Amino acid sequence: MTSLTELDVRGLPPPEPFEKIMQALQTLSAGTELQVRIHREPFPLYDVLRDSGFAWQTDRVAEDEFRITISRRP
Amino acid sequence: MNLIPLSTDQAPPISVPLRFFAIAPLFLLLAALMLALDGGNPFAHAHTPALLAATHCVTLGFVTMIMLGAVQQVLPVVIGSTLPAPRLVAWASQLLLIAGTLLLCFGFELGKPALFNFAWPLLALAFAIFISAALISIARAGARNASRTAIFLALLSLSAAVILGALLAYGYATGQALDYFRLAAAHVSVALGGWIMLLAIGVSYQVVPMFQLTPGYPKWLTIRLAPAVFATLILHLILLLLDAVPHWLLLVTETIFWICAILFGSSTLLVQYLRKRKIPDATLSFFRLGMGALLSLAILSLTLKYFIAPESFKILAGILFLLGFALSLIFGMLYKIVPFLVWFHLFRSANKTETPNMKEILPEAWMWRHLWLHGITLAAAVFSLWWMVAVWLFILCLVLQSLLLGYMLLTAITIYRRTLKLIELEKSCSA
Repeated sequence: MTSLTELDVRGLPPPEPFEKIMQALQTLSAGTELQVRIHREPFPLYDVLRDSGFAWQTDRVAEDEFRITISRRP
Repeated sequence: MNLIPLSTDQAPPISVPLRFFAIAPLFLLLAALMLALDGGNPFAHAHTPALLAATHCVTLGFVTMIMLGAVQQVLPVVIGSTLPAPRLVAWASQLLLIAGTLLLCFGFELGKPALFNFAWPLLALAFAIFISAALISIARAGARNASRTAIFLALLSLSAAVILGALLAYGYATGQALDYFRLAAAHVSVALGGWIMLLAIGVSYQVVPMFQLTPGYPKWLTIRLAPAVFATLILHLILLLLDAVPHWLLLVTETIFWICAILFGSSTLLVQYLRKRKIPDATLSFFRLGMGALLSLAILSLTLKYFIAPESFKILAGILFLLGFALSLIFGMLYKIVPFLVWFHLFRSANKTETPNMKEILPEAWMWRHLWLHGITLAAAVFSLWWMVAVWLFILCLVLQSLLLGYMLLTAITIYRRTLKLIELEKSCSA
């Protein structure tokens, strides 16, 4: 069963959202998903996730809010 | 877990934008030199050789140099798409831009239009390379947003400005019988009102909410503003180049343009007023100064221009737009994105080495000093229209600004290189 860790970085100044997501990914265990709430679409993050073996799905939930669900690629 | 550094086909190397930023302050220094070499008051009228040379040093050598670097960095962040062959495009477009700008400026300063024959092909090639690469990047981007539209329209405006500029330079160099007054007016309107203004709009939509923690710009505005500015400029361009167009039609397009400028300036000031953390921030103050200059110019253009001598108004408008609006925004943007770039690239390379905090990369106290210096520079430039002593103060301030900005950028580059060496040393020790 997949468990979920939530991280809200809305309204934080750069580079805090990126730092906090990276910190959370360092401790993300297999079978756990990280759900990030962020105020803008973080394109540079996708490159890091792709290269580091993570899968992600982005949903725009409001004009200025995105929900990114990140998990380890099998 | 080790996160893997970004590959160069996904994000441009830090050297790509930084090489444009690092060289630009030298052109501010050159602009000051061009004005100093003028025998009398270079602000006596809008077409003194020294003023034309200095203006192109600022518009091409400084503003456009930084904007080309910024576009290469902003596109991957805003639309998730990098320019193709980023190192080659940066290398070729920058060298051609430097050579072309120097030839053009010395052509003006020395009164040797023959130099334009060498300048315009170099500049045309520099921009052809850059604009093609940027348009490819925009075309293959998945994301669609208001910044993408504004940057796309800014690039189209730049193309028009380059074609008109090349035609003017070719005409001067070869003694063609062209309508220089109308061509120059068209060149200035698409270069300043299109390229600079539209790019400022597109970048502000991202930089202001992201770094200054403001609410986003109103959606009704972001969707319509850049297309409205561009459509107005195209209509104005057609009217300028046509024969026997009633003067009131040109006034209508000018009025629409300045209303758009007022909407952009006032909405920026409004979202900044509504920001969450109301703490003093030098970069935010640079933006406020820039928007204040834009609003002042718009109001002057809509009302007071009929009460000031036409020649003086032209120069005053150039000062307010270039020094007041464009340079203020550029300084405000640079002092946010350069520390961020240095931090980001070091963070991605680092393993255990501590990445310097963004606030340690560029000292804020020096940003405030630069803001004051920039304010004095702007005031001195305005007074230069009527007072010769102010010309020398303006030239001195421009030199100091060039040195200060160059010092700040070199500080950031030094910190980046020093920390990267530590990271590499640590990696080799742990291997």
